[in-house]
Amino acid sequence: MARTPTFAEQLERLEEIVRRLESQDVDLDQSLALFEEGIERMRAIRERLTAAEAKVRQVLGDDVDA
Amino acid sequence: MGDGLDLFAAASAEGAWTVGEVTRRARAVLEAGLPPLWVRGEVSGFKRWQSGHWYFGLRDRSAQIRCVMFAKENRRLPTEPADGMQVFVFGRPTVWEEKGEFRLTVTELLSTEGGGLWQLALEKAKAALARDGLLDPRRKRPLPPYPERIAVITSPDAAALRDIMAVVGRRWPVAELIVLPTRVQGDGAELEITRAVAALGAIAGLDVAIVGRGGGSKEDLWTFNSERVARAIAAAPVPVISAVGHETDVTLCDLVADHRAATPSAAAAAATPDRTEVMEGLTHLDVRLGRAVAARITSGTQRLDRAQDRASDAMALRLERYDHRIAALSGRLDALSPLKILARGYALARDDAGRVLRRVEQFAPGLGFRLRVSDGDIAARVRES
Repeated sequence: MARTPTFAEQLERLEEIVRRLESQDVDLDQSLALFEEGIERMRAIRERLTAAEAKVRQVLGDDVDA
Repeated sequence: MGDGLDLFAAASAEGAWTVGEVTRRARAVLEAGLPPLWVRGEVSGFKRWQSGHWYFGLRDRSAQIRCVMFAKENRRLPTEPADGMQVFVFGRPTVWEEKGEFRLTVTELLSTEGGGLWQLALEKAKAALARDGLLDPRRKRPLPPYPERIAVITSPDAAALRDIMAVVGRRWPVAELIVLPTRVQGDGAELEITRAVAALGAIAGLDVAIVGRGGGSKEDLWTFNSERVARAIAAAPVPVISAVGHETDVTLCDLVADHRAATPSAAAAAATPDRTEVMEGLTHLDVRLGRAVAARITSGTQRLDRAQDRASDAMALRLERYDHRIAALSGRLDALSPLKILARGYALARDDAGRVLRRVEQFAPGLGFRLRVSDGDIAARVRES
């Protein structure tokens, strides 16, 4: 089942990418792929942070099937 | 028969009264002569009946009075008084005719001892929670660092909710607030909060919950000392932050919650990271990302450098020309994609299978390979010599 990764998951993956690149034990091909993914995720996270505007929803009783 | 006050009408032919007559008469005299009053004494022989009525004695050194406090009155009290407890009761002196017993029908009971009944109730509930291991600090769960859904259980039209909304909006607008409105004091508050906490499990993707209210008197905050509410919080599927506005008293909810905040605003701050700080952290990660890939490319190209002797002139030339630019790249790579790196003059050597050639021994004399530069591939061959 596909679902949007959580913010925490996105950030975790980004940190993992940086750690792997820093560890230097990936080959150049992988490095470039990781780098590209890193840049993409960085952009997605930044967008998520800047676009966000707090949402408030009120639920009553059993109406919590969100 | 009717009027028990008519003494002579009540008397029998022999001049003796019936038991019913005299007790009725005694009751009338007592109730007329002693108004409802406050009595101070020590509780003894306390019993709670199936019906919910309380029966107990009130005594001092020299005397004792039987007391009854009916269920409809004692329901308002947080707990039963313990034997030996010093209390004040407000009651109506009367005679219980069926037993021929002098007693007080109590409508109010206060204890000043050790904080009174409320304190006693709190201690009892606390002991029960402790027995079940619910006060163990090791039960406390860490709060999620980047919550996306925060439930708020509080009064819908109080400052507490507005404070929480303001703080979350400022610090971490990434999160969605899900408000479960409840009363926070008085009749029904306990049940409503218990239900709301139990309903948290039905909210998909919920990260953390805040349960609380703004400041109030000790009595106002009592709902948050309810054992029932505390047990619901302990059983909550996500970490709970208690936010009961108070300075000195710690409520039961505070004790079982995963995190205790002194005010609703503080709870909102504890529940959320600060967006500015997260942004700064990202910038730091970005720099590390750039440095790491620059370093990786540097080591890769240095290895290729050593292959120069045996590599084609074209490739050697390329590598030479751009070696010195590598250092300058460090820390500035955050905006660069791999293609842009190639545009800066780096080249990738790959074999027919597309594998990157990184070591001298991979370049066998006569080997055909492909050189990837910014705008395409070049066929290349290692010299035979």
